[in-house]
Amino acid sequence: MKSNALAKELARIVGEDGVLWRDEDLMLYEYDALSSMRQPDAVVFPRKTEHVVQIAKLALRHGLPMVARGAGTGLSGGSVATEGGILLGFSRMKQILEIDLENQRARVQPGVVNLDLSLAVADDGYYYAPDPSSQKACTIGGNVAENSGGPHTLAYGVTVNHVLGLELVLPDGEVIHTGASHWARPGYDLSGVFVGSEGTLGIVTEATVRLSRKPEAVKTLLAIYNEVVGATRTVAAITAKGITPAALEMMDGFCLRAVEDAVHAGYPRDCAAVLLIEVEGLKEAVEEHADEIEAVCRENLARDVRRAKSAEERDLLWKGRKGAFGAIGRITPNFYVQDGVIPRTRLPEMLDFIGSLEKKYDLHIGNIFHAGDGNLHPLIMYDERNRDQIGRVIKAAKDIITRCVEMGGSITGEHGVGLEKSDLMPLIFSEVDLELMGRIKNLFNPQGRLNPGKLLPTGKMCGELRGGLMGGGTA
Amino acid sequence: MTVAVDSVRADLAALLGESRVHSEAAVCAPLAVDGKAPQVAVFPAAAEQVAAVLHYASEHQLAVIPQGHGTKLSLGSVPRQYDIALSLRDLKRVIHYEPADLTISVEAGITLGEFQNLVGQSNLWLPLDPRGGAESSIGGIIAANAAGPLRQGFGGPRDMVIGLKIATTDGKIAKTGGRVVKNVAGYDLGKLLTGSLGTLGVIVEASLKLFPKPPERATFMMRAGTLGIARELRRSILRSPLDPMRLVLLDATATALLDDSTKAPDRPDAELWIELGGSHRVIERCMLELRQLASAVGATLARREDAEVAWERMSNLAHWLQPKYRDVTVLKVALPLVATEEFLSRAQQEAESEKIALASFAQVGVGIVHLCALQETLGTSIGAWALRLRQAAAGLGGSLIIEHCQADLKGQVDVWGAKGDDLDVMRKMKAVWDPQAVLSPGRFVDGI
Repeated sequence: MKSNALAKELARIVGEDGVLWRDEDLMLYEYDALSSMRQPDAVVFPRKTEHVVQIAKLALRHGLPMVARGAGTGLSGGSVATEGGILLGFSRMKQILEIDLENQRARVQPGVVNLDLSLAVADDGYYYAPDPSSQKACTIGGNVAENSGGPHTLAYGVTVNHVLGLELVLPDGEVIHTGASHWARPGYDLSGVFVGSEGTLGIVTEATVRLSRKPEAVKTLLAIYNEVVGATRTVAAITAKGITPAALEMMDGFCLRAVEDAVHAGYPRDCAAVLLIEVEGLKEAVEEHADEIEAVCRENLARDVRRAKSAEERDLLWKGRKGAFGAIGRITPNFYVQDGVIPRTRLPEMLDFIGSLEKKYDLHIGNIFHAGDGNLHPLIMYDERNRDQIGRVIKAAKDIITRCVEMGGSITGEHGVGLEKSDLMPLIFSEVDLELMGRIKNLFNPQGRLNPGKLLPTGKMCGELRGGLMGGGTA
Repeated sequence: MTVAVDSVRADLAALLGESRVHSEAAVCAPLAVDGKAPQVAVFPAAAEQVAAVLHYASEHQLAVIPQGHGTKLSLGSVPRQYDIALSLRDLKRVIHYEPADLTISVEAGITLGEFQNLVGQSNLWLPLDPRGGAESSIGGIIAANAAGPLRQGFGGPRDMVIGLKIATTDGKIAKTGGRVVKNVAGYDLGKLLTGSLGTLGVIVEASLKLFPKPPERATFMMRAGTLGIARELRRSILRSPLDPMRLVLLDATATALLDDSTKAPDRPDAELWIELGGSHRVIERCMLELRQLASAVGATLARREDAEVAWERMSNLAHWLQPKYRDVTVLKVALPLVATEEFLSRAQQEAESEKIALASFAQVGVGIVHLCALQETLGTSIGAWALRLRQAAAGLGGSLIIEHCQADLKGQVDVWGAKGDDLDVMRKMKAVWDPQAVLSPGRFVDGI
C-alpha cells in the first residue's frame, strides 16, 4: 500500500500529527539496536487503546503487517518492520495511570519509560525491579514483549515475575484483559505467555506491574582480579555459600578499560577482570553477606576487594556497567553482542573457550555480563567495511551459541530471539516443540501479520544468525 | 466409555505392560474424583508411555485425569467424564542435578518430601509449602500452581519453574524453557501449563530453581485482638525493612485449632503469625523491629517454638481438618492487599448469620485468604454463603474459588466463579492442546 494513502487513513484515527509516512521520517524507524532493515510503510502514534483497536482493524482490512515499538532499544531486531506495513510507536502512550503503593502495584501505559516508573515511586521507598541496562530509554511495553532482565534480576526475577495483568489488542482488534490486579485469578496464565512473546501474539496497551520496596541497606563491592579465572570461579563459590546477591556482574579488563575511559568510575585499568557485586536487605544481613563475599573473593585470588563508600560511588560504578555498550562503541567501529546462557558453574570453561575463539578467528572479544545467572554478553569487535572480518565474527558468534547449547544453556537470556535468532531456535527446540509454539502463534496471529519474521524459524536460513551484521549493529 | 473396559485394558497393557494397567476396584475406587471412579488406572514408567496413553485416549475419546499422589483432586469442577486415571507416581527419576548451579531437573512423580530430602543434603530447598505437603508430587504442585504461606517470601511455582517437558494428546513430548535460570527463547509455555490443572498436557519432567536454606528461622505471634489493629500491623510490617517468609493472620478459631484446643472463648481474635529467616543476628534485629511495631499499636509479641507443625497444617488445610470435620469446605479468595481485613470482617458476619463455624487463615502480605467452613448445622447453606462472599470479593476487586468441598456442593455452585474477557482465548488454547477434550474434561474454569 502506498505510504501516503495509508497515512491518510491512519490520520483519520489518530490525527494528522500522529502519522509519519515521508521517506526521511520512515528512515528513523528502519532499525533498532540490532540492525537496520526495511522501512515500515507508515509509523503511527496511538494515544489510547481505542486507537490501537482502530489501527488493528485497518491493518486487517488491508492485510498489512503490524509491528509495535517502544523505544527501539531492543537487541534482537524485535521492533523492525521486516515486511513493511504499519509500525505502532508508543511514545504517546506514556502515562502512569495509577500508582497504588498500599497494594504494591502500578498500572501503566506501554510507552512509560522503565526508569520513570521507578523514579515516580522512589520518594515513597519503592521501585520497579527489572532494570535492563537501557532502562533510561526502554519502555515497559517493550520490556513486557521481550521479558527483559537486567543486572538485578539475579535476586528479583525478570519482567514476567513482576507483571500482574495486561490489556492486549489482538490482530483483529479484539481487546482482552489477562491476569488481574492481584495474583491468583483462576484460569490459564495468559499473561505468562504474552510476556516474552516479542509482539507476535498481541499488542500490549496497558500493564499492571508489581512495585517492590527498596531495601534498607545496599552494599556494592568491586572485586579485582589479575586473572579472569579467579573471577569466574568466585561466582559459583558465592552461591555455594548460600548467598544470593542482588546483582553479580563481571567485566573483563578490555571492557573495563573502555568503560573507565568513558565514565571515569574508578575501575582499575591494569586488571584482568572485575566482579561488581551487590547485596541488599536488612543492614545486619548485608554486612554479614558483604564480609562473607569478600572472603570468598580473596580465597579465589582477588587482589583487592573495594566497597563503595557512598551512594555516589555506587552510582558511578553502575553508570560504568550500564553504559558499557556505549563505552565500547567509542573504541570500535562496530560490535556484535551475543546473549547466551550457561549454567553458572561452567563460566571458567566458557571464558577459556571465548578466549580461544579470539585466537582462532583473529578477533577482539570483550566480556561483560550477568555472571550470577550465567548470562553471557560477549562483545565481538569488527569494522563493517571489512567483509572478511564480518564472516569471522558470524562464525565466532555461532560457535559461542553452539557451546552454550552444548553446556545445557540457552540461545538467549534476555535480548530475545527476534529476527536475529529465529533460525537458531532448532538448536534448542525440536520440531515438536516448534510446531506447538507455531500452533499457539496461529491461535492469536493466524495470518502472521503481527511482527512477521520474529521468534519462530523462517525456514530460510536454518541454524544461522540473522540481521546482526547487515551494515548496522553499531554502538 | 464407548469402548468396552476389557478391550481398553488390553490395549493399554499392550502399550505399558500388564503390571502397569489396573481395572480392579481396589485400585480404581481410591482414585475417584468427586465420586466418579475411573474404569482403568495406568501407572506408566516413562514419559513416552504417558504420551502413548494420551494418544490412545485421544483416538478413542477416553477421558483421562492425570495425577501425582492425588492430594489436590478435590480442586476443580466435577469431571464430565472420567475413564482413565493416569498416575505419574512411578516417574521419579532425577534427570539432572548440579547443586552449585542451584537448578535441578526431575520427573513429575517425585514427591516434595523426597525432593526436599535430596536437595537438603546440599543445604538447598524449594521454598514451597503447597496443599498436599510432603506427599504432593512436583508435577501436581506445578499443575495446580499450588503455593502456601511461603508465597510471601518466595513467590509460587510460577516463579520457580524454568523448564518443562510435557506429554501432549497427540502422543508427543514437547519441551519448553530449559535448565538455566535465565532464558527467553520461545514462548513460555511453562507459565501456561503451571496452574492448568492437567487440562492442556501432562507435565512429565520439570526443571526448577533452587534456593539456599536460611541459616535460622523464627516464628513470632503478634496478638492484634481486632481486625483494625491487624490492618495497622500488616501495613507497618509491609512498609518496614523486614522481609517475612510467611505472614498469616488467624482468627480465634484458627489459633485454637492449631493448638488442638476446641474452644476459643478467651482467645484474642486476629493473631498475626510471621516467620523470618536469616542469621542469629538478623533474627534478633527482626524481633526488635517487630516488638516496636507491635507496641506501637498495643499488640503483644511472642516467639512461637516448634512452629513447623503449625505451618504444615496451615499449608495443608483440607488434609489437616478433614479427619475432624468431615464436611469441611475451603474457600480461597484472592484480594488486593488493602481489602483483606474488610473482607475477613464480612466473612465473619456472613458466617455468623448462616451459623457456620469458620476458621480463617489470611496471607495478608499477598492478599490470599483461606476460609474454612468447618461444619454445617442443620439449615445452613455453605453454597449460598460462598456465593455471597464471591460477590463481596468481586466488589473489592478480588475473586473466590472453592478449593475443597464435597462433590454435591459442586452441583450447586461453580467452584471457579467469575470469567473475564479472555475466556474465549482460554477455550481456544484448550482446543490447541487437546482438541478431543480428553484431558480432565470439565474440571477447569467454565467447564474447560
